[in-house]
Amino acid sequence: MAARSTDAATDGAADGAARPLDGLKVLDLTWFGAGPIGTRALANLGADVIRVETEKRPDGLRIGGPRPLETTSLNLSGYYNNFNSEKRSITIDLTTERGHELGIELVKWADVFVTNMTNRAVSQIGMTWEQVSAANPGIIGMYQPMQGLTGPHSEYLGFGAILSTVCGINGMTGFEGNEPRGSGTNYPDYVVNPIHLAIGVMAAIRHQRRTGEGQLIDMSQLESSVAAMSGPIFAIDNGGGEFRRSGNRVTFAAPHGAYQVQGDDRWLVLGCLTEEHWRAFTALAGHPQWADDERFATLAARKQHEDELDALVGQWAAEQDGPEAMERLQAVGVPAGLVQSASEVLADEHIVERGYFVYPEHAEAGVRAYDGPGFRLSKTPHDLRGPAPLLGEHTFEICTDLLELSVDEIADLVAEQVLF
Amino acid sequence: MVGALDDLRVIDASGPIGHYAGRLLADLGADVIKVEPPGSGDTARSYPPFLPDVDAPESSLQFLLLNANKRGVTIDLADERGHDLFLRLLGTADVLIESWRPQEAAELGLTHEQIEAASANIVHASVTGWGLTGPRAQWAYADIVGGAMSGVMTLAGAPDGPPEQLPDLQGYRCASIDTAAGVMAALLHRDASGEGQLVEVSMQEALSMAQETAMQGADILGEDRVRGGALAFRLPGLGLYECADGYVYMMAAGLAGSGFPGLLELMVETDEAGDLTEEPYATFIAESMNRGLLTAAAQDPATLEELMGTLEHIDEIVCAFLLNHPKQYVYQRSQEYRVLVGMVSTPQDISNSPQLAARDWWREIDDPGRGRTLRYPGPPWQLRGTPATLRRPAPLLGEHNEELFLEVGLAAGEIGALARAGVV
Repeated sequence: MAARSTDAATDGAADGAARPLDGLKVLDLTWFGAGPIGTRALANLGADVIRVETEKRPDGLRIGGPRPLETTSLNLSGYYNNFNSEKRSITIDLTTERGHELGIELVKWADVFVTNMTNRAVSQIGMTWEQVSAANPGIIGMYQPMQGLTGPHSEYLGFGAILSTVCGINGMTGFEGNEPRGSGTNYPDYVVNPIHLAIGVMAAIRHQRRTGEGQLIDMSQLESSVAAMSGPIFAIDNGGGEFRRSGNRVTFAAPHGAYQVQGDDRWLVLGCLTEEHWRAFTALAGHPQWADDERFATLAARKQHEDELDALVGQWAAEQDGPEAMERLQAVGVPAGLVQSASEVLADEHIVERGYFVYPEHAEAGVRAYDGPGFRLSKTPHDLRGPAPLLGEHTFEICTDLLELSVDEIADLVAEQVLF
Repeated sequence: MVGALDDLRVIDASGPIGHYAGRLLADLGADVIKVEPPGSGDTARSYPPFLPDVDAPESSLQFLLLNANKRGVTIDLADERGHDLFLRLLGTADVLIESWRPQEAAELGLTHEQIEAASANIVHASVTGWGLTGPRAQWAYADIVGGAMSGVMTLAGAPDGPPEQLPDLQGYRCASIDTAAGVMAALLHRDASGEGQLVEVSMQEALSMAQETAMQGADILGEDRVRGGALAFRLPGLGLYECADGYVYMMAAGLAGSGFPGLLELMVETDEAGDLTEEPYATFIAESMNRGLLTAAAQDPATLEELMGTLEHIDEIVCAFLLNHPKQYVYQRSQEYRVLVGMVSTPQDISNSPQLAARDWWREIDDPGRGRTLRYPGPPWQLRGTPATLRRPAPLLGEHNEELFLEVGLAAGEIGALARAGVV
């Protein structure tokens, strides 16, 4: 059984308290990030999530890292493990006839079917909406291919890095004239697409519980990503003028940015969102006269002279100790922070006191940090109660308990390479 | 067909960090009522850019985008009469979304305990920069502060430039997405039990997952990822490439699709493959141009040294091919050959996307209060049984005061008196 976490993440809820999706059955045919993190949220809300995997073509994240040096085990990738806590894993080759039959049995068991594979791959394994809903008419089918189920680009291929460029992140991040590097990550894979997925599934569950009806959800990762960053697009479409990449600036505040402070590549961020913030900043910086300087007296003036403004703020920042400056700015109510590295985030006193990261014990990887829940519920917790599954860890138990196969039948299926 | 939440009312008293949460619930069918301070209204009403020829406070495009589908009232929550009116409105609601720091909530007399006491069984969502507990709960926040403190910003940018924020307030957006998800989970529990609860979101935590592999790298290997980290040498077909009019990102090696051989087929078709169809390149491309071997080569200097001349030659030909063509062409033609290529879209490119147009994704809505028809982006999903809908434009400031205040039992005269006193 999975080890229990310390469950510091939820106030007032004892470990083992009922969760909002207890009893919900989810068949999870996702991989990589955008799908698995969404079904992880369902698992951490209490759902029984069964991930179907194969050894023939494992999730790329099981192959990747970070992982302990010089290891190749499919169970040691921190990347995979963080995104799959509390799921069960069964290894079936769905491309075999008998494997497909077992897959369909799991479809009949499930309330929700989720996949983020390409439409072509979904057809190849016989799990199109037509096939899934024929086997289980009340099921919710969440299909999350890169560009949706229909349209001229519905067969286009990609991972998060491809989607990031197509959906506009690279084209909108950074400074005008610089190479469009984007977020440095496969950004839409980690919150936007998976948690949109969870919202869509929960909306459909509400309808399913009220009416008994399932439904198809056609979720284009492109549409989901654009929906979450459509400000500049909405603006150009409705007369707001041309878009220009503007680095760390925003239209509604100045100064606003990242400023280098003392130390090796250390950066302070601050945003003067109001005139009060600006006046408090100038006083703290020892330059109250800036607030009355006609170049900086109003937001409009500061935006007009933003290069000069940023140069002055930058000169001030260069003399500062970052953590101390952040504390002093916050003490006078100015939004400020530090560009933290991952190890600093793990050790961040606020994060630690709130118990955000969770440390479940994994049979092979040991005790490792997992991201905690992105939202907390006071009475029916959203929390992590166990680690990610080993590849095929639950094949036997699912075959016996749920698919009602005998030990002999299971042995035959393993010999035939239907199960692993 | 009806929306999944069409029997529910949501009070959205949040600032910009929570606007998108209310918008998502509204798209799913909920009756969302935005509560703003009288006078200048929500902070985001002052955010440029603006709708041309429309006066403040009705012209901010950022406000319009994230507050469409909501009705709007103005209430001064710091005034006792305003406070009472707010509680009356709350009594008609199933969900409250707000973004007060603990001290602000206490000053308004609207802590979770007070809200629960006034409106039993409500789902109360709090979305702030830091959450409601911990040493920084009272700290000020801005979107960029969330990006920095969550470990996301350290990954973006060039090595010789500053860390960079993500576009269009992604800290606020992720916090809102988690808020909407939390409300959905709490509603499912409420449907089953009648019980409400507190949903709590910290922007810093909501963003943490977007550190990608950085957190695990620090935990497992004790190493921090840095921005702009790149391999010592660019492997042909992997990464950002310049085209005639912009950039594409290519993953033409291993993992999925037809890989580099697929790209070569396209280059042969356009007669721009140079000598890559000849030896020694043809065999090398057919047999060795996969991610595994190339990654191994990149990690082993000796192998890389041996291959460097070959790789550089291939990369030169790829670069020349790409510079000859617009990004849209490279993107579409490569995908036809099942090569993983994405074009670096500008906002205009997305606006013109043939795929989004073919799927009828955009929504046009008449906004009579602002005298025009506006084009909105569509929802994140197509729920075929309970479709997301865009039913009304963003509210004018205080547009629905009268209808909603009458509904909760105020007389017309009382509303007038509150308006004269500046309470609404």
